[in-house]
Amino acid sequence: MLSSVPHRKTWNKSKKTVKVTRSYPTFPSLNAWEEFRRLFPVDREPNPGVGLGVEEGLLCQMVHSPEFNLFPESVVFESNFVQVKKSRNWIGIYKASNTMALGVTSSVPCLPLPNILFMANVKWHHGQSQTWNQPTTAPKIILKSLDSEGDTPHFNEDRVGSEAICVFPHAFRILPLKFVELQVCDRFQRVLRLRTVTEKICYLRLHPDHPQTVFHFWIRLVQILQKGLSITTKDPRILVTHCLVPKNSCSPSGDSQLVQKKLQASQPSESLAQLMAKGESEALSQIFADLHQHNQFSSRSSRKTEKKKDSPEKKRPSEDAIPCTRDLSWRESFTHGEWERENPTGLQPLSLLSTLAASTGPSWHHS
Amino acid sequence: MTYAYLFKYIIIGDTGVGKSCLLLQFTDKRFQPVHDLTIGVEFGARMVNIDGKQIKLQIWDTAGQESFRSITRSYYRGAAGALLVYDITRRETFNHLTSWLEDARQHSSSNMVIMLIGNKSDLESRRDVKREEGEAFAREHGLIFMETSAKTACNVEEAFINTAKEIYRKIQQGLFDVHNEANGIKIGPQQCISTSVGPSASQRSSRDMGSDSGCC
Repeated sequence: MLSSVPHRKTWNKSKKTVKVTRSYPTFPSLNAWEEFRRLFPVDREPNPGVGLGVEEGLLCQMVHSPEFNLFPESVVFESNFVQVKKSRNWIGIYKASNTMALGVTSSVPCLPLPNILFMANVKWHHGQSQTWNQPTTAPKIILKSLDSEGDTPHFNEDRVGSEAICVFPHAFRILPLKFVELQVCDRFQRVLRLRTVTEKICYLRLHPDHPQTVFHFWIRLVQILQKGLSITTKDPRILVTHCLVPKNSCSPSGDSQLVQKKLQASQPSESLAQLMAKGESEALSQIFADLHQHNQFSSRSSRKTEKKKDSPEKKRPSEDAIPCTRDLSWRESFTHGEWERENPTGLQPLSLLSTLAASTGPSWHHS
Repeated sequence: MTYAYLFKYIIIGDTGVGKSCLLLQFTDKRFQPVHDLTIGVEFGARMVNIDGKQIKLQIWDTAGQESFRSITRSYYRGAAGALLVYDITRRETFNHLTSWLEDARQHSSSNMVIMLIGNKSDLESRRDVKREEGEAFAREHGLIFMETSAKTACNVEEAFINTAKEIYRKIQQGLFDVHNEANGIKIGPQQCISTSVGPSASQRSSRDMGSDSGCC
């Protein structure tokens, strides 16, 4: 069980200043960062992403906790889902008290696209709001399988067509996004389809406690992951010349680079959106920019224009479209950009895990 | 629950040797005969007691398939212990140990404790690697060795706990800098380092480690 929930990280936005407050008592380098951050004034303005349950949620708290301390400077975009089975209607596989937290982040904050997917089984207490993320009342992500607690899925051995229901034996996992395909499966029922390169497929319905806006963010994310942003390229032949992964990252502790990276990521005179646009993944910045924009407009009008004509669910690939699932040798022929180096030489900073490859691989073709 | 230390473990070895099953047996005390390929990393955790100290084991179960190998390398960093697993019924998984060991040595702390595990000991009739061969390999490379069965749970507890004992012993000997996160050891919340290591424990016998309990 994750017993040490970190102190809450808060993003406070003012006109020209940003403060990110964290406290990791046992890690001096992070405390030094804290002191640096405290030099700048703040306004106490709530972050709408937190209210929507897409920022600073359970996954973020867990991976940024001292126990994991993974990707500490990367924003996590996350939501709670219910794993469902495809039938005439979508049917929940687990008890209502069990949800799945799904989130994306970047192993290195300045990557243009997220490259990491988190999945965690969450067990909620009876009557607890399942988008609630206050640490005093939040559930714990238990690093045990759901089955062990008598929460065996109703349809463990069932099959839907040729697709076996996806049951994850362990409660928390990290997947490189290049091995995962996310699709919008049912826009009205707010269902995403997640397929791994090993042909595990699961359907995840956004938890009803999340407002519709949150599903729009997921639609946007799916589009970004499939098509990239205007600033990114999906052409593997184009090599990125600037080094996003420090080449001399062989410091045993990695602390000095960590601090340096944090210093680079900080621009205290910028707005939150600008900060994320520069220091965080561009794609996540886009999502969060949408979020903040929506928050502004929602007070005046609840109507948000639906602008996606080519909805992703209409672009479901045929099962044959996957180049290879069991034999994964297609990966070897791909020319990697600098940020996709997979063969680290020497020790890598723990906080980076930077060799987890980016999401821009040629893994999925859409017809 | 509070703990004195958190140890990061990594489980490595060829695909299909039973890495995920070992983790499931250790954390959940159950065996799942059919298991999907692991992609990326899956996590398990369990609290154990070593010399009266509560120690949390955070276990990273990695993908064994060659296609994921380069990504698996990125997980070695910051591991205090590694379980290097082969399948006693498949000779090739034993032959690949050297390659796994090279990866582990190259990408992790030099003090990382490595436990060599010959899994599937319940399949004695299909044995393809003699126990003595595993012992010899471990001796040659300075590893601890055990044969286990994730199916019957034989020696599974011992494999994880003996690894923890060896890490704990190294902490007491001052071989691990517990303040350096890269060593895969974290001091538990509200723990005082000066009281977290008992002096008497340093005298514990080495017979607690390195040899299995004989159930397999």
